[in-house]
Amino acid sequence: MIASDLKTPLIKGNKNYGQISNELLSNVEKKPARWWFIAMGFGTLMLLYGAWAIYMTFSKGLGTWGINNSIGWGWDIINFVWWIGIGHAGTAFTIFFLVFRQKWASSINRSAEAMTVFAVMCAGLFPVLHLGRPWDVFFIFPYPNTRLLWTNFNSPLFWDVLAITTYLLMSITLWYFGMIPDLAAIRDRARGKVKKALYGFFSLGWNGSMRTYNRYESVLKVLGGLAAPLVISVHSIVALDFAISILPGWYTTILPPYFFVGAIFSGFAMVLTLMILIRKLFNLTDFVTEKHLDNIAHVLKYGSLIIGLAYMTELFVAWYSGFEYEIHTFFKARATGTYSIQFWLMFTFNAVLPQLFWFKKIRKNIVTLFVISIFINLGMWYERYIILISSLSQDFLPSSWATFTPTLVDIGIYVGTFGLFFSGLLLFVRYIPIIAVNENKPIVREERKKTQNT
Amino acid sequence: MKKKHIIGVFDDEAKVVAALKKCKEMHIPIEDVFGPFADHDILKQHTKKSRIPHLAFFFGVMAVVLTFSFIYFVTVIDYPINFGGKPYFSFPPMVVLMYLMTILITGTLSSLVFLGRTQLLPGKQAKIVDPRVLDDHFVMLIEKPDDPEKIKELLRNAGAKEIEERDEE
Repeated sequence: MIASDLKTPLIKGNKNYGQISNELLSNVEKKPARWWFIAMGFGTLMLLYGAWAIYMTFSKGLGTWGINNSIGWGWDIINFVWWIGIGHAGTAFTIFFLVFRQKWASSINRSAEAMTVFAVMCAGLFPVLHLGRPWDVFFIFPYPNTRLLWTNFNSPLFWDVLAITTYLLMSITLWYFGMIPDLAAIRDRARGKVKKALYGFFSLGWNGSMRTYNRYESVLKVLGGLAAPLVISVHSIVALDFAISILPGWYTTILPPYFFVGAIFSGFAMVLTLMILIRKLFNLTDFVTEKHLDNIAHVLKYGSLIIGLAYMTELFVAWYSGFEYEIHTFFKARATGTYSIQFWLMFTFNAVLPQLFWFKKIRKNIVTLFVISIFINLGMWYERYIILISSLSQDFLPSSWATFTPTLVDIGIYVGTFGLFFSGLLLFVRYIPIIAVNENKPIVREERKKTQNT
Repeated sequence: MKKKHIIGVFDDEAKVVAALKKCKEMHIPIEDVFGPFADHDILKQHTKKSRIPHLAFFFGVMAVVLTFSFIYFVTVIDYPINFGGKPYFSFPPMVVLMYLMTILITGTLSSLVFLGRTQLLPGKQAKIVDPRVLDDHFVMLIEKPDDPEKIKELLRNAGAKEIEERDEE
């Protein structure tokens, strides 16, 4: 075990602390490349499309969406669940790093956290838009209003509001606290007056005192420990939105753990997609090595097994229940009927394709890693599509069966959230160190110690 | 705060640890050590265990009690609503809320306590001992006693790169 650790160091190139600072802060200190401006332009275009779609929703109402009386939850809730799932990886990485002390997570931690923050922002948009009267969103929050009413504390929809608010707050805190020493490092190196002032403002007067570091590590551990149960609860509570209803396909007790694993799975896939791009574009291959990508591939492989098990369990329980509506939803609507193409795409992308990661050749090949990670993202979107649309479109009464077609506004909001996500990430890679500098220096040190001892 | 200090700049954390050990032996109080990251060997020599986790536990217990009382007050005392004959006081949904509120309240309060205790505030002017501290150097800050030569010698022997006397901090 130790021998293999020595052979493949977590950070390549035998760097000293100064080199690490220089390399990891270079994205903030150098002028961005041309691709950055082009990508930012695309991001802004997507945002504009989204803004138009939101304007249409606000000015004309939900009639501009593809939803109808039978399918009341359409693309908005699919995308909401999908984005929340994507968001899970960041917190998962933080927990790997802070609670389970997985050192390899330290170089992915920061960007995964950034992903979490932007993904949860994207996700949070959908339920608010779906309200129909988004200006009344404050009705959800628990305060005694003019009619002396309280919110219904027994409703999973209210739990969801609380869960996502908590999640967003905790993710932002963890992300921001993690970068304070790095912002201070930029401040100390900055030449421009404005830059110095801005990074000085946000680095909170950090001066590298070990007494502060001591409390800092301690509070990060507390926050990491608190975020660990949060990761499990957020998506389980989203699943309860469905599981507490009476609709076949939703009314299953497996839904919370199934959603949770799906979230971690899709989040890791998104991390893999983005890390492959970022490490290449910013020349960070010494810090995010093949070993890091390999580790993520392993997580995806096992995640895929659990997801596959969940799919099979759902089918089995539907058959075993002998309940005709369940059997209809799972076997007629999903596996062999109207939605069979989407169902089998989902099954292949999530449960079968990642199993290729058992082969070392495929794990070591950046192209296959990238392609499979994109397919997983797609597969996870189909999973949410299947859960929502196939259940809602064919419920108990055949007379109320309906189909769902997304409108330009539906698509626009989805594209708009992509715009928000990408432009957010682009700003992140421009103004904040992509990899945590202060967390990677001790890793180099540990590795140096190890080699000295042998 | 006008104080006289002796400053030792190191480029290797192992040397700092050695110097700290010696200072401990000679009972020389150290004002602070500065560095680019939390070095656990230095922390072991220099700091006590933080009490934030204990405080966090206290906040957690407080959050559970507060959330329980709040929801009980709302659903049973202030505005009981009859949902199809179900009991006003229903514990299972409260568990979810207590779980979430514990995380929210504990996380927020622990973060605030951390910021307060370390006096980190947005826009605060940092007192930087040495501009290289967050890059690749470690600095020991020792209050200047009547006999500074002894400390200087100690720092020199421990391998300090630069030793400096500073009259104002």
